[in-house]
Amino acid sequence: MSSDRTSRNADRGASRGGEIPGGTSESGATNVGRRGFLRAGVLAAAGLAFSRPLLGEPANGAALLAGAGTTGHAPRDAMPGTSGPDDEMIDAVRQLLKAKFGDRHIQAGHVQLDIPTDAPDGRAVPAIIDIDLPVTAGSYVAAYYLMVDHNPDICLATYHLTAASGEGPIETRIKMRRTSYVRAIAEMNTGELWSAATKVFVGLNGCG
Amino acid sequence: MPSTHHHIPAGTPALTFAMPVSPPAVGEAKILLPLSVARDAVIDVRALLVHPMDTGFFRDAAGNPIPPYFVNAVTVSYGGQEVARFEWTSGISRDPFVRFPLRASREAPVQVTWKDNNGGVYQQSVDVKFA
Repeated sequence: MSSDRTSRNADRGASRGGEIPGGTSESGATNVGRRGFLRAGVLAAAGLAFSRPLLGEPANGAALLAGAGTTGHAPRDAMPGTSGPDDEMIDAVRQLLKAKFGDRHIQAGHVQLDIPTDAPDGRAVPAIIDIDLPVTAGSYVAAYYLMVDHNPDICLATYHLTAASGEGPIETRIKMRRTSYVRAIAEMNTGELWSAATKVFVGLNGCG
Repeated sequence: MPSTHHHIPAGTPALTFAMPVSPPAVGEAKILLPLSVARDAVIDVRALLVHPMDTGFFRDAAGNPIPPYFVNAVTVSYGGQEVARFEWTSGISRDPFVRFPLRASREAPVQVTWKDNNGGVYQQSVDVKFA
């Protein structure tokens, strides 16, 4: 997911019903070490770069670039918002999910989160949540949860529905502080949890 | 039909636009239903409230912090029975808009009630009529 050139496309693909990115399963944990190692490598390279004179020897600059290449990061990956840190589910989100749902398993799929992947203005980002499960009197969506990883209030909206609501999308407009994952979780009346997540690239901070 | 945009007769007075003097008042609300509703169809209900939804993290031009002021609870009742309930934070955009499904099982009013963290209560209702 954090490999350089294809990272954005991979993220977009993941949002359409793959696993939860940076998910709740143990697969996220195995990636931490490698990603942290890569990040440390990039930081070390940056430190080296700043410790040298600004108009230094071109040979050293070339060596630095080559070094960056061997760690798997193209130089433009240093652009904010395009590299790895947002791909990890942060601890605050883990704790929130734990507090809300306990140890219940959150499965990826069945939920469609329709949100632009590029949001120049974080003050109003339209989001549509829908589910593709058939809604009957005995099986309906009891609640939709809308979460933004890096917002001050992570779980920024909860929509409690009933059997009288029927089947249909929830649409709203949300604020986003910065580039992060937006997660939609649908809680069925039977207790099943379905989810979808999309990484949204935000320009203007909408939260303050 | 020819477009009139390029044929403004001579002597036509210049258009003057009435600029709004003040923004719409907090609490003005609208509910929009589909033009025609069939019995037992699931319809989309759109509800819009005028509200600043201040997060508390911004400052005004003079540098004073703007306190948090946002809608945190929305209830939807249909014929006097609660059918949906939304919990919001200041992460919802200003002038909060929401679209939600409703099964039109009978001709009855849909009432939406918004409550904010300063005790403000705003209501709007519209009648479901089968056509």
